[in-house]
Amino acid sequence: MIRRPNQTRTIILLVAPAFVVVLVFFVLPLIFLLSQSVTPKEGGYTLTGYVDFFQSPVSRIVYLRTLKLGLIVTGICVLMSYPAAFVLARMPARRRTFLMSLVILPLMTNAVARTFAWLIILGRRGMVNQTLLSLEVVEEPVRFIFTETAIVLGLTQLFLPLMVLPLVSAMENIPDDVLEAARSLGANRLTTFLRIVVPMSSDGLVLGATLVFTGSVTAFVTPAILGGARLLLMSTLLRQEAVIVFDQHAAAVVAVVMILTTLAVNLLLRLLRVRQV
Amino acid sequence: MVSRWMYISLVILYGFLLGPFVIIFMASFGANATMAFPPQGFTLDWFARVFETSQFVDSFWISLQLALLSTIVSLVMGMPVAYALVRFQFAASGLVETVFSAPILVPGLVIGFAMLNFFVLLGKMPVMTGLFIGHTAILFPYSVRVISASLRNLDPYVEDAAVSLGANRLRGFLLVVLPNMQAGIAAAFVLGFITSFNNVPVSLFLSGPGVTTLPVSMLSYMEYYFDPTIAALSTLLVAFTVVLVQTAERVLGLSQFV
Amino acid sequence: MPHLEIHNLTVSYEKNQPTLEQFSLDVEQGELLSLLGPSGCGKTTTLRSVAGFIRPDAGQILINDRDYTQLPPNRRDIGLVFQSYALFPHLTVFNNVAFGLRMRRIPKKEIHDRVTNALEMVGLDAFTKRRPAQLSGGQQQRVALARATVIEPQVLLLDEPLSNLDAKLRVDMRQEIRRLQQQLGITTLYVTHDQVEAMSISDRVVVMNQGKIEQIGTPESIFAAPETVFVADFMGFDNHFNAAVVSVQDRKLTVDWGGAPIELRWRSKFGSPQRGARAEIFFRADNASLLAGPEASGLVGQVILHTFHGNELRYLVETEIGEFSIMQDSASERFEPGAAVTVQPQPQKWIAIFEETEPYA
Repeated sequence: MIRRPNQTRTIILLVAPAFVVVLVFFVLPLIFLLSQSVTPKEGGYTLTGYVDFFQSPVSRIVYLRTLKLGLIVTGICVLMSYPAAFVLARMPARRRTFLMSLVILPLMTNAVARTFAWLIILGRRGMVNQTLLSLEVVEEPVRFIFTETAIVLGLTQLFLPLMVLPLVSAMENIPDDVLEAARSLGANRLTTFLRIVVPMSSDGLVLGATLVFTGSVTAFVTPAILGGARLLLMSTLLRQEAVIVFDQHAAAVVAVVMILTTLAVNLLLRLLRVRQV
Repeated sequence: MVSRWMYISLVILYGFLLGPFVIIFMASFGANATMAFPPQGFTLDWFARVFETSQFVDSFWISLQLALLSTIVSLVMGMPVAYALVRFQFAASGLVETVFSAPILVPGLVIGFAMLNFFVLLGKMPVMTGLFIGHTAILFPYSVRVISASLRNLDPYVEDAAVSLGANRLRGFLLVVLPNMQAGIAAAFVLGFITSFNNVPVSLFLSGPGVTTLPVSMLSYMEYYFDPTIAALSTLLVAFTVVLVQTAERVLGLSQFV
Repeated sequence: MPHLEIHNLTVSYEKNQPTLEQFSLDVEQGELLSLLGPSGCGKTTTLRSVAGFIRPDAGQILINDRDYTQLPPNRRDIGLVFQSYALFPHLTVFNNVAFGLRMRRIPKKEIHDRVTNALEMVGLDAFTKRRPAQLSGGQQQRVALARATVIEPQVLLLDEPLSNLDAKLRVDMRQEIRRLQQQLGITTLYVTHDQVEAMSISDRVVVMNQGKIEQIGTPESIFAAPETVFVADFMGFDNHFNAAVVSVQDRKLTVDWGGAPIELRWRSKFGSPQRGARAEIFFRADNASLLAGPEASGLVGQVILHTFHGNELRYLVETEIGEFSIMQDSASERFEPGAAVTVQPQPQKWIAIFEETEPYA
């Protein structure tokens, strides 16, 4: 970065146009949303929308279910990614590049296509049921679609790359020497992994967890296909309030709660990262 | 340091990540309309069905236009911001960075909902304009980030060198900075295009009568039909993405920007 | 008339914290002048002000008596070599060097001739089609030099041009730069933090500290006779002690050295020192020697350790007025740690510096 005096004008010229655009076209609609959430149909300003949201058993259950599934998905992603990311980070560069592009590929494919696969796998006449029936484990097809398990599977598949990528890039920065130093000082592989690799890659873990959790609690496609109206999450609830119930006030409340939840998680995990530095 | 059970975890990871693609691929060639597993027979009918379904063809063109337009606009507007953030240190840079990364922090579905209420319902804007605004907004953070990354790789003093040799600031930028950002701009373009092309949450509320993006029309098709047409379409989209991403990776080293 | 004049230049990045304050300097036609100092001393700020990248708060920059202060950098006709070389990565060596000529709308044929000539002068005529990334550090440095000189600038500015090269290459390139500069007879301002580099390459050296000139002079005079404590430190005077002045003559003064009087040169910015004032005395490790055992006259001490440096041994000796580092020929008598020695001074090469405004008695 070059230090130059008298640069304020240049900076304003560069930043101002886009800044104004973002304010008008992005921030303003959100402010309008916020105002909708505190102005019920009867008029006036009130927070009753939020009180109702947390008092009504339906929406409270949906909210808690959303958080619960988000946590489960994040946990599964961490467990699946950690050892695999370590293997990837220690690989020769060429093979790693190829394998990493396979991790990125799902990220670049639309969620509808990726979730559709789970209908084929978990459907009444799907792969799992056919196998269970032919092994005579069950006599009737088991219902998997519209269960929490299905949603968790779908979300995990969707967001796994967002955990693998930051973990691999954090682990790439751990020098081999450090691991060898730990081994030479008497640590076995597991100890080295837990006491050296895990703390040294915690930045990647926190970033990955932020992305996976916030992604899971706001995703729409997966809960819409695999949960449907029977098993609502926050996103599908928002859609239902807005399009089917047609209560814009209640929908705005759901939307604001979603924003606040994401912001809170981001803030919390960012603080966690700062504390470690 | 890498032990055998860690390799097993790698196999599980990739099985889980890529398995669904294999299943979609197999299902798209199966002759049985109910998609019982394993698929019976072999047919290309479902692919033909994709092209015969006007819902898909129309929304494909809309998605394509939308992705191109919003990517280009977000790039053109994001570039000066990225330049200011990388080349200057200033007191408000934290604020600027936060504002321009905000669209990632707000859930897409909420963005779509808020824009529907504000622009379409309140402001009576045409549906396509609403979609365009929504997509451009969510691409901003990617454009700024990817272009910043590519600018950071360029020695800031090359611009001063050009100026000391007689070029004015603008010519210095055009002759020296821009040519060296080609890869970054192209990477930002590919990334932005794919992000917009695949987006469901923002488009969901903003789609209107006759104006629907491809992923949203796939979703609404699935509400009524459960047959391998979606699998065939998904196979096509995956193939398209693989070609695009692999080309970009080979030519630009895309993964360093993601 | 000096070729480049800097008058009372003041630059601040933050309000009331000037990086340069009332800085003035003259550079003669064809002279190579080094700005030497630690990082943050204002040397690069001076250079970038001359180049026009920094608009000064006050002061003037004149070249050939013409006021350059308000001129934008692209119209200054100044050649600039950057620490990072700042070559254009997307252009070939030829096009890098041709860039400045194209900006000046020189005819194509002439561009070709001048670029070829410039690349010949730095020995890179065989590399015209390469990209910067395909060159070694030394070659990149040469391209940067050719690019800055091919436009035949009024003044050449070099900003730490050798700091990215390894030690051996640095010595070669130093000579190369000096040869090219003398061949072209170009007025040059050279910024460095390396005193050896500044000494070897310059006609004159300016030692800078905190935005001000500490001392200006030929390499020889600065090396032998620093005027301030800062310059003495920076010029590699290894040893330093504090002593009371016994008597003052015209150009010399006397202090006590282990019971014997020694005569030293002195420097003061505040008039002649008085008897009894405290002097800061500096000497280099090779301007003293060691004798075995305590002598009748001279300072007695004890060897703490020695380190081997090829032809020389460096001793650390503890005395009642401090620890000193003394170089001895490795062929001479060797003293082991613990040995008692006498430190024999060569006071004609030592220097006493006064920086107190009120030399106290």
